[in-house]
Amino acid sequence: MEKETVTLTIDGKTATVPKGTNVVDAAKSVGIEIPIFCYHEKMLRLGCCRMCLVEVEKMPKLMTACTIDATEGMVVKNDTPKVVKGRQGVLEFTLLNHPLDCPVCDKGGECPLQDNTFNYGAGDTRMEFKRFNNVKKKELSPVITLDRERCIACQRCTTYSEVIEGDQALVMHNRGFHNDIGTFNDQPYDTRFSGNVVDICPVGALTNSIFRFQARTWDLDNAKTLCAHCGCNCNIEFGARENELMRVVSRQNDAVDDGWICDKGRFGYEFVSSKNRILEPGIRKDGEMNVASLDEACDETVSKLKTIIEEHGPKSVGFIGSPFASNEELYLYQKLMRLGVGTNNIDHKSYDDTPGLPVAHYDFTDIESSDLTVLIASDPTEELPILDLRIKKAVTRLNRNLIVLNDQKTLMDKYASLSLRYNVGSDGVALAGLAGAIADSLKQGEAPKVEKLEKTTGIKPNSFKDFAEKMIAAKKVCVIYNPAALTGNSVAIVKNLLSVLNQKPEGECGAIPAAPATNALGAMDMGILPDFYPGGVSLSDDSKIKEVWGESAPTEKGFTTCEMFEKAASGDLKALVVFRSNPIVDFPGGDKIEEALKKVEFLVAHDMLHTETTALAHVVIPSVGPGFDEGTTTNIGGRVQYRRKGLKAESFPDWRVLAKLLSGFEIEAKYLDSFTVTAELAKKVSGYEEIRRGSIQKEGKTRPAQASVNGKTPEVTSPDSIDGFKLRVSEKLFAKDKILESESALAHHFSEPKAILNSVDAKKLGIKSGDRVKVSSGNRGLSVEAEVEDSCNPGAVVVSNAGDEYRVLALIQDHNATVQVSKE
Amino acid sequence: MFAFTKESEEKIETILAKYPEERKMSALLPFLTLTQRQEGWVSPEAMVEIGKRLDVSPAYVQSVCSFYTMYFQYPAGKYIIRFCHNISCYLNGSDSLLDYLSKKLNVEVGGTTDDKKFSLIKEECLAECSAAPVMRVNDDYHVNLTKESIDKIIDSLK
Repeated sequence: MEKETVTLTIDGKTATVPKGTNVVDAAKSVGIEIPIFCYHEKMLRLGCCRMCLVEVEKMPKLMTACTIDATEGMVVKNDTPKVVKGRQGVLEFTLLNHPLDCPVCDKGGECPLQDNTFNYGAGDTRMEFKRFNNVKKKELSPVITLDRERCIACQRCTTYSEVIEGDQALVMHNRGFHNDIGTFNDQPYDTRFSGNVVDICPVGALTNSIFRFQARTWDLDNAKTLCAHCGCNCNIEFGARENELMRVVSRQNDAVDDGWICDKGRFGYEFVSSKNRILEPGIRKDGEMNVASLDEACDETVSKLKTIIEEHGPKSVGFIGSPFASNEELYLYQKLMRLGVGTNNIDHKSYDDTPGLPVAHYDFTDIESSDLTVLIASDPTEELPILDLRIKKAVTRLNRNLIVLNDQKTLMDKYASLSLRYNVGSDGVALAGLAGAIADSLKQGEAPKVEKLEKTTGIKPNSFKDFAEKMIAAKKVCVIYNPAALTGNSVAIVKNLLSVLNQKPEGECGAIPAAPATNALGAMDMGILPDFYPGGVSLSDDSKIKEVWGESAPTEKGFTTCEMFEKAASGDLKALVVFRSNPIVDFPGGDKIEEALKKVEFLVAHDMLHTETTALAHVVIPSVGPGFDEGTTTNIGGRVQYRRKGLKAESFPDWRVLAKLLSGFEIEAKYLDSFTVTAELAKKVSGYEEIRRGSIQKEGKTRPAQASVNGKTPEVTSPDSIDGFKLRVSEKLFAKDKILESESALAHHFSEPKAILNSVDAKKLGIKSGDRVKVSSGNRGLSVEAEVEDSCNPGAVVVSNAGDEYRVLALIQDHNATVQVSKE
Repeated sequence: MFAFTKESEEKIETILAKYPEERKMSALLPFLTLTQRQEGWVSPEAMVEIGKRLDVSPAYVQSVCSFYTMYFQYPAGKYIIRFCHNISCYLNGSDSLLDYLSKKLNVEVGGTTDDKKFSLIKEECLAECSAAPVMRVNDDYHVNLTKESIDKIIDSLK
């Protein structure tokens, strides 16, 4: 669809822009700068700072360029004496009470007010009286401090709070001479995205409390890198001074983050200097951990693994990778395991997932162009915050539709035109029911057969029909699903649903697999799977595997993580390499895993921080991790971007550790930097052919979608009826884990886990909100506060994964996640 | 705890009927006025309640409320005296009359008497210059003020 354009003249230059563009942006497109304060291209046009005054032919007075649309034949003048005088007047007025504390101001050096005054301001002021004094340090939240004297009342931050965040938390009180940026009743402004106001403030009024007075901006070494917290992979600038992290700011990439980052991405990087970091390799001798050199640790790992392989065969060795590591690290690890050790016992997750999609793999920008977004089992607000902003933008500003299918209430429900809630654990049946409803409406496609749909899922067949019809009626549909929140083989059913939907006669559809971890998609692409080689090559594709990986490449299906722990417990798995993963806390049923890990003859932990798992390891190798590492990651939209290092590490980067291990197994590993690994990976992994240093600059590069291999219609198993409650663990953005410790700047967000019960169940058990309840299973019990809210359907309890210390996932001890809830 | 009275609820129905459902936040000023008439001031609890009714955040309600100086964000007196001190009234001696009233009520300008009966507020033009000096007590205008007439008016207020 071609957009209508208009042509106008600005200072004699001709600009052709889409209809609806304002004059500021039109001027920008031909390289003419019109100064602004209040206008921000992602937000409303306010016209309240008056900085962008221009002269427009046939208009009697100066106009604000941000509020007027470019029209056909418009003649704009940006440099007439009238404009110059007007802007000087505006700036003189803006500066009446602005303090001259630039020498100590955090914004100094990158301040639009400084720049505009320098470029457009008068040399002097006519103001003869003293400036108005005001509060210099008003803490809006533990991470944001307001300097009221510096505020020029442009209202960018309040507009951001209203338009982008959508919760109107930050407002302008006492509009007029006494205006004051604040919240309701001076409550803290502590939303998930509050830090962005620091970036958009055009003066030094809103400051980052942690960065405040710590460094001058021009002294920072800024690394243009990626955030490593979630699967969005937002672009950030990592500002360091003398190898110490000073601050993180956003770096606009419209294809990913739209210019925003969440507070975890901005303030959650203290782990780079955590006391809990693993700094030196260690080898356990007679139960004691002894400091070793990296060479010693690698030699020990190689020789022990070789002995075990000789004695028990390669199948007795397993590898648990990390969905948080870079593609390069994961690629090298799978190479080590498959070609060095000779096993396919490789996995990185506790849920079922397979690479590839039967439909197009959509990117973030597709959400904006899709008429309908379908959110399945995903809670973007807590799991993938920028996805949350993207969906909000599509719904509130682009008039797109959102429908939700989930087992728990999320903040996204507010934006949905239809929101269905299936019983916890019945996701397979619900998805099959939806696929069936779509197939019925289309009169083609085959969906798994289900019985007792309403009884099992708690959703009426008619609602499924409405849901299906919305999906069919929309021209472009974007299905976002979270594989990590699905149980059993539900991922296969989602893919079946997608292939059924793909048969609709008109329009198009695509999907985004939205697993929360940083590089979950990359881990799948790099073949950290027991049944797929990198690039989604199935083990059954023998000839392709032999062609790419050589004759000795193993083609027998390996163990999944669950199977590895079972085999470790039974003594069949002798050695396990765990890379940046802490299964004891992060996988369901941690106690059994702990027991299993204790039985492993040789446990190698390659990690960034000390964890429950590294404590059991026989060899510990430090991994430098985000901030220090470099490599590519693949975000949920399939976009491959480059994560630069912002700090110099004292230990070796992971690719060098892996090169040592590979050499130990007589595999050539002459890598010079992470890009040489990328170059090798591009040759071996299908879909990554185009990924190289040059091609992933700027916006990154989307790797082509992989085709899905499972063609058969999957079977659905109804969930068992259980005696007790089904546990649904909900994710928390600011959880007190190893990454955000108790000293974190974000500690004010931490909360104890809560047990959220449906009102029906609560009534039966005689529980009220605020009561203490015990959620227990087996020998595990967790005493928490109850909250009665219909977050999930009756028969289940939602407990938030609020921190490592609570070990919420250890409550899951069977495949139904059965727990008992009792009043204390 | 704040709650709208039954009479207020009836008025709310009339107010909301004036605005389309998706533009109901336009009813914010009538709601604030209604609340102030009911309670004498707009408490934070009332702002939360208004926000819920109109689908706006309490912060937004507070920001609007704070723009209009005639809404009170603190408990004010039973009788709100708004005393004009603009040019016409000033030329007719409003400053000495305001002083007199302030001493009579034993309250500073801008304050509320200890018995919560009177709040004395200096006001810009009340748009009654032809009969200056002027003051407004709640909804009533009192014009051509003298010390004697002020005494009479105050004594008549129970």
